[in-house]
Amino acid sequence: MSRRTQLFDRAVSRRTVLAGAALGCGALALPLRAASAAAPRKQLLLLFLSGGASQFETWDPKPGTKTGGPFRAISTSLPGVRIGELLPHSAKNMHRLSVVRSVNSGIADHFQGHYAMQAGRIVPGYPVLGSAAAKLLERPGDILPGYVSIRRDGPKAYTDVGSAGFLGAKYEGVRILNNQPPENLVRPAAVAPTLADAVDRVRRSANDRFRRGREPAAIDAYGTTYDQADALMQRHEIFDLAKESPADHERYGNHDFGRNCLLARRLLQSGISCVRVTHFDWDAHQDNFYWHQVRCGEFDRTFITLLDDLEQCGMLKHTLVVVSGEMGRTPQINHLGGRDHWGRAWSVAMAGCGVKPGIVYGSTNETGTEVKDGLVKLGDLFHTYLTALGIDSQTKYEINGQSNPVADPAAKPIAAVLA
Amino acid sequence: MYSSPHCARFLGVVLGLAVCAMPQSASAEAEPALHAQIDALVAKRLLDRKITPAEVCSDAEFVRRIYLDLTGIIPTSTQARDFLDDEGGGKRARLIDKLLASPEYALHMARVYDVMLTERRIPTITSYDVPQAAWRAYLTESFAANKPWDRMVQEILGSDGADEKLGSGVKFYLVRDVEPHALTRDVGRLFLGVDLQCAQCHDDPRFDDYRQADYYGLYAFVQRMKLHPMMPRGAQVAETAEGKTTFTSVFTTKSGETFPRLPGGEMLADPMLDKGKEYVVKPGPKDRSVPTYSRRLKLSERLPRQETKGFARNIANRVWAQFFGRGIVHPLDLHHATNPPSHPELLERLEQWMVEHRYDLRGYIRELVLSDTYQRSSLLPNGVKELPDDAFAVALLRGLTAEQLRWSLLQATGHIEMHYAKLAAAVTKASADKKPAVAEPEWKVKHVGNEALERQSASLITAFAGLAGQGEGAFDPVVDQALYLRNSTKLLPLLQSESGTTLERLGAIIDSKSLAGEMYLSVLARRPTSDEIDEVRRILGDAKSPAARREALQALVWGLLSSAEFRLNH
Repeated sequence: MSRRTQLFDRAVSRRTVLAGAALGCGALALPLRAASAAAPRKQLLLLFLSGGASQFETWDPKPGTKTGGPFRAISTSLPGVRIGELLPHSAKNMHRLSVVRSVNSGIADHFQGHYAMQAGRIVPGYPVLGSAAAKLLERPGDILPGYVSIRRDGPKAYTDVGSAGFLGAKYEGVRILNNQPPENLVRPAAVAPTLADAVDRVRRSANDRFRRGREPAAIDAYGTTYDQADALMQRHEIFDLAKESPADHERYGNHDFGRNCLLARRLLQSGISCVRVTHFDWDAHQDNFYWHQVRCGEFDRTFITLLDDLEQCGMLKHTLVVVSGEMGRTPQINHLGGRDHWGRAWSVAMAGCGVKPGIVYGSTNETGTEVKDGLVKLGDLFHTYLTALGIDSQTKYEINGQSNPVADPAAKPIAAVLA
Repeated sequence: MYSSPHCARFLGVVLGLAVCAMPQSASAEAEPALHAQIDALVAKRLLDRKITPAEVCSDAEFVRRIYLDLTGIIPTSTQARDFLDDEGGGKRARLIDKLLASPEYALHMARVYDVMLTERRIPTITSYDVPQAAWRAYLTESFAANKPWDRMVQEILGSDGADEKLGSGVKFYLVRDVEPHALTRDVGRLFLGVDLQCAQCHDDPRFDDYRQADYYGLYAFVQRMKLHPMMPRGAQVAETAEGKTTFTSVFTTKSGETFPRLPGGEMLADPMLDKGKEYVVKPGPKDRSVPTYSRRLKLSERLPRQETKGFARNIANRVWAQFFGRGIVHPLDLHHATNPPSHPELLERLEQWMVEHRYDLRGYIRELVLSDTYQRSSLLPNGVKELPDDAFAVALLRGLTAEQLRWSLLQATGHIEMHYAKLAAAVTKASADKKPAVAEPEWKVKHVGNEALERQSASLITAFAGLAGQGEGAFDPVVDQALYLRNSTKLLPLLQSESGTTLERLGAIIDSKSLAGEMYLSVLARRPTSDEIDEVRRILGDAKSPAARREALQALVWGLLSSAEFRLNH
């Protein structure tokens, strides 16, 4: 164990015990939050509804119109605000949410939408939200990866669109498929501990010799990745969902999205800056209403369970939760009972850190075909997320002699939504 | 060291150069070789900046570096030993020429240019891609024949996938989904050294040289292209005969219209064609449209020329960066007035050389690696803590690329030799009765022979390659890679002492000193110091049983493979 890691352990363990006891949150043997209680690190949870959820069946129902579909709108905890009946738990919690009903992203394509909704622009090559947040929320001495993306293993190529771009592999984050922990976190059984130790001693003494008389930056950067590997190997249990209680498994739901959200909670508690959970199969070109019943059923309860837990642990104050897909769905209902791709007028929801609770911003016209007021473009959303996280969205990345604005300079944050 | 006789020589060359820069009538023989001009111009800047450069590298540093740079693989222990023990004159130049003529040179260059041109992009629909083996074969054959760069670029940009001779060049378009904006950006970056991305939506506020009109001038060449899927699988490029190019600034709402135009060039108006004569093949539901006048072909003819601003300069600078770890203009795709070259005269000279020698890449590379500037040590001069990267005063520590690392790991552990020994044994057996009529070129034999080794080590590329679309950047190690080298069960087979491997060979050596010598030559291409011999002796001395001895040997080799010295090109 490296010296730094030892110090680090001592520094966090006492506070952890106190925090765990006081708040009664899910048990984590060794949470890794290095931040002091006075200035907790801001965190981001992105729940990505991949395929494109229908705004009509969720945040912006139009019952009784020709585009509205068969479901009712129900009243919510916000007086005068109604949402789709498929989200009963969310309805009871509308006073904690911040919903934008006037998004015009102009994109009706999975690949483009996945990239643009996460990168905050259409121009390729920019880091996606998770990578950007990992970079911008990073603190000196961080050992854990800043970004973890969790999803079911599936053949949907578009869910993997977007990367850390020019921020480089360090911010690409860790990808978790089917709740399998990342590769190579555990020493293989075939390697005896004595062998592993001997390898490490040889490596270290070789590095010490090679370092003499040379510029140390690259040599030390390489050595540091081994220290980080040590630290991650010791903490591999933060990726281990089996460590969560059966009761919590039950509360989150016996489905991929539930398990993925439970893992997301565990990772956020461990100090990962940004976690993305991808919820699949919203692309309902046929049987839209059946599919939304199934999808919303999974999403609604789990989302609110997670929100409750984050609130109860005191984490929601410094964690921004974003619910978005790559696009919305058409007002027109096609001959297969489906709704198709649509980017002109749809909704995104937020909660937690930096956003005003109990806000519904913007609106669409009577049949939901156009934004009526409060037009929001995709670049504005990206600015809003960063600002809510306490990041100045007008700043620039300065990397390898290139200067690049973190958010599209032609867009701006939605002031009315920000706390 | 930087002694005064040296300075006098350098200055003499600099003055000589000033004469040569005058009209071409000056005798060509009087002009010093390019490598001497490089050294003189770099030395001049060092004098100006009062920087003392590092010493010339040792033979051991040189042999590892030159094998890595020219073949992408560290030398075998035998190759390293042969070079170190060679007492003949001019042995560095001899080795350089030998490696440049080897099939490994072409294979290595193909790997480097594959990554540079595709940046490991994968098209959205993977079956619409040129198979990697075909594309690599195209590149390898081109480098083996030392095809001039301008011709390669012409072939790549000219390929629509239908012409078999240029068939795989179309990969450049396909991996970008034939998306015009992606193509505009990457044609600018990779072939002209200018990243015009920001100029897509407005004039770049950072640089006066990057105008929105430049972006759309380039865009107009590729705008009419699109993907044409083929059954059962694969894709080609289709092109239409219509489509205007207009643009509006998001800041000023100023708009414009343009025909194709290369940076610094004239607009190329489309020829007037009679109605009905616009197409060779008209667009149809199943037909790949082919226009009578192709803007894409125009691009492939016009771009790879000296007159195109940045074309010769870009390749001179890119190849320089490949061997020095940094461009004279850096980053490589930001040639513009506020990012001046560190050595303007030198870059000018290199660009001119490229044009004079018709983009002879092998000849150019030979000059680069013959220079003292290339052959500096990575050890800092006594008492110096750091030197600026852009002075080329010391060999920069460069990370091995994923491909260099893969091949070097296979080499150090003895797997390449083992594999080819097995292949040779199989061939000898089979060829007892018949011999092939025509001998395959050497590069092709290796290209096919390497396939099994590539499969065996595929996980290394996954672990060490950069992000798709980002190309090979500066050394930026990440934790996943350390985890891989520590724990991957896919790596373990390379570290077993089966018959024919380095570990097995080392296991047979009784004397610790000889064993240390062979181990260090195999893994690090140098002989061990006395400290290192002592360390080997101590670790082996602690191993009392044959099993413990095997484990100790494994630990030593694995430890050296995990060291910074192995991971870096130094």
